[in-house]
Amino acid sequence: MTSGIDAKEAPVSFRPGELEVTGPGTGHLIGSRCGSCGAHYFPRRQACARCLSPEMETVPLSAEGTLYTYTVVRQSIPVFEVPYVLGYVDLPEGVRLMSQIAGCDPDDVRIGMPLVLSIEPFGEDEDGNELTGYRFRPATTEESHD
Amino acid sequence: MTDVYVLGAGMTQFGKHPDRRSDDLGADAVREAIDDAGIDARRIEAAYCGHVFQGMVTGQRILAQLGLAGLPLSNVENACSSGATAVREASLAIRAGEHDVVVAVGTEHLTSRFRGALTPDPDDPEAAVGATMPGVYAMRARRYMEETGMTREQLALIPVKNKHNASLNPLAQFRKPVTVEDVLESRPIADPLNLLDCSPVTDGAAAVVLASGEAAKQLGNGRAIRLAASALRTGVVETEPTSMTFEPLTHMTATDAYERAGIGPGDVNMAEVHDCFSIAEVLRVEGLGLFPQGKYPAAVEAGEADLGGRLPVNPSGGLLGKGHPLGATGVAQVVEIVRQLRGEGGDRQIPDAKVGLAHCRGGKAVGIEGAACTVQILVR
Repeated sequence: MTSGIDAKEAPVSFRPGELEVTGPGTGHLIGSRCGSCGAHYFPRRQACARCLSPEMETVPLSAEGTLYTYTVVRQSIPVFEVPYVLGYVDLPEGVRLMSQIAGCDPDDVRIGMPLVLSIEPFGEDEDGNELTGYRFRPATTEESHD
Repeated sequence: MTDVYVLGAGMTQFGKHPDRRSDDLGADAVREAIDDAGIDARRIEAAYCGHVFQGMVTGQRILAQLGLAGLPLSNVENACSSGATAVREASLAIRAGEHDVVVAVGTEHLTSRFRGALTPDPDDPEAAVGATMPGVYAMRARRYMEETGMTREQLALIPVKNKHNASLNPLAQFRKPVTVEDVLESRPIADPLNLLDCSPVTDGAAAVVLASGEAAKQLGNGRAIRLAASALRTGVVETEPTSMTFEPLTHMTATDAYERAGIGPGDVNMAEVHDCFSIAEVLRVEGLGLFPQGKYPAAVEAGEADLGGRLPVNPSGGLLGKGHPLGATGVAQVVEIVRQLRGEGGDRQIPDAKVGLAHCRGGKAVGIEGAACTVQILVR
């Protein structure tokens, strides 16, 4: 980490309960794993929907997934600049989550494409401070299109 | 357990009402339902009010306008199934033997509360990453097209059909028919869905007076329609990624309703289903078992869901054509079916309809396949 960054400049997660940010551009999604049957959930749950066990462990989720389906959102609420690609991403743990898809022309997005998690700036808090969130990006292009 | 009958039905003009409030509209609908039932307003024993964005004690404000004081009343919220949930709660109060005559009203003055694309609750993690309701259904449409080969033109036939039906419904928000080209050329909202694939922002209210079998016999004027089933379910939590081209929640709720009514999907003569988006009608009728999975787009193309078809779907114009005042929608579906089964369908009358089905689905929450779903079956 660069020296001289004070605490105020450390990246702040836009949703601390769902995304742990460990440094600039690094972090992971936070889910639950059932201690009894092994089912995974995102976001975290207090009990397992498969076996109703309350023994849920908080675990980091995989940073790789595949695109189940997607859309290009052209009308949204004011905090989101349109257009943006929105998709459902399937993780190897058996979790499907919604994410924006970045780093790819909307015309090149395809169902089934491999994706990787990207920890990046994502909006601002009420005082105008930058927040850190997540998007998924095509696994093949990685950071070259930033 | 007593049967439940619809004695009276009322519904306001759907559309934009800049000079009215949700309680004005609700009171209009309740008054019409009571008049239609032909009963003294003092016979009403209890009330249920469904709405989403109208604030605290909306139902009390409606009844106060009508001078109906002192009744037990509950306001219910279940997103777009709120009105349908009010009907169900009213029917349960009667089946439980607690009341004999109950009113259910749904109302929404959406133009004053809301604009643009509807989103899930801001606390929801999906809303935080940019989920919109059109976006969610657009993703389902994309996947359905990929899996079944449905074309964009086939999907456009659903708003074309429903807006044609709405052109025959004097209470509908949109009276102008549209073409496939109009749908394809309308403003993109969330690919592949365009503006005409989306239900509009609407103000309106609808109400029904329900009665026990005994009260219906005493008060009814021979026009009572039996509410044979009123089922409600909440979506199950997904424990693994599941298909988004079929709706287990709709299927599960419909199964409850068919069992309760003692009929099957093959007995249904007309259906009002929750077509908040064009693709939604496809997923709904297939989940309800009214058409085989993956086959509805071709059936629409063949005219099977038209007013003169094998099974008319959304004869009222549906949410796409009639409009979608969230809390009123589920009650308005029941109003349409009651009128059709009585033979009061006007230019859109379905000949000899005996069994009608109403389906609502509301809300989005992370990790569950749909929030609230209702299926109601009405029998002449």
